[in-house]
Amino acid sequence: MNTSQMKQELITLGGGAHALAFQILGNPDDASDAVQDSFAKVLGKPDTYDIDKGPLKPWFLRVVRNRCLDLLRRRRPVGDPVERLVDKSATPEQAAEIGDRDRALKEALASISSEQRQIVILRDYLDLSYAEIADVIEVAPGTVMSRLHRARLALREVLKSHDQ
Amino acid sequence: MTSEKRKNNGHVAELLSGYVDGELTQQQQQRVDVHCADCGQCRNDLVELSALRDNIGKAGFSGFNQDVWREMMNDTTVNTTRGIGWLLLIGGVLIAMGIGVVGFLFGSSTGIGEKLLVSVIYGGLALLFFSVLRQRLIERKTDKYKDVEI
Repeated sequence: MNTSQMKQELITLGGGAHALAFQILGNPDDASDAVQDSFAKVLGKPDTYDIDKGPLKPWFLRVVRNRCLDLLRRRRPVGDPVERLVDKSATPEQAAEIGDRDRALKEALASISSEQRQIVILRDYLDLSYAEIADVIEVAPGTVMSRLHRARLALREVLKSHDQ
Repeated sequence: MTSEKRKNNGHVAELLSGYVDGELTQQQQQRVDVHCADCGQCRNDLVELSALRDNIGKAGFSGFNQDVWREMMNDTTVNTTRGIGWLLLIGGVLIAMGIGVVGFLFGSSTGIGEKLLVSVIYGGLALLFFSVLRQRLIERKTDKYKDVEI
């Protein structure tokens, strides 16, 4: 894969990578920084990606996740996690588009653990296979299904309690 | 519900997510099918998990479109200026240190014994600094507890 092809593919991955980074960092601006840093890192050394080892998507998401964890280690987040993870940067028009269902989902996601959020986003939003998720979050492939199931059950419980 | 049924129910429950995602083997899928035919609770779970998955898939988690990422990717100014900034800073510090060391060793009227003593002290401090720096860098790369939230 040449740099131009890589750039094109990375552009399509930007939104998903931002969603993942946002779930880890809890702030849309920090998430944008993490994605931009990851772009710079990957495009600065495009040879580090080996196409024989798998698709670009999970590999790039792992780069983004590692960058987010680096940023997290440098600063501990402050404030209420639910407040942090609900994006307040959206304009009124965007907010209207997002709708109540998405808002409820975001709030519910904010109330489960960071590990659980990541695995749900990787599977349900970014459509990664279990093997790819295992690669991104660096766990044994056999543990992905049980972790994902626990995360979904936790999310479902939160959404049900919101509805009541 | 018998204990055997509860046990099976527990096992299938964990397979429900795999079923929804199409990640089960044929044998596991059949096991879920057989179980769900007889278990309303798991059938209900299956429907709810599937709906949850669909809703997350359709949600707008990132407000940025591809143009924003294209622009961001092509904006190399930040990285270039940051790189040049670091280069100038490190270069400047090294040159200043070099001038200071040369001036102290060859230009000052201090006695050779005092020069030796000061060199040993500063040399020791420098070694300690690089030793700690090296250790921190190694820890940063290999810390297996780095993801642990406190």
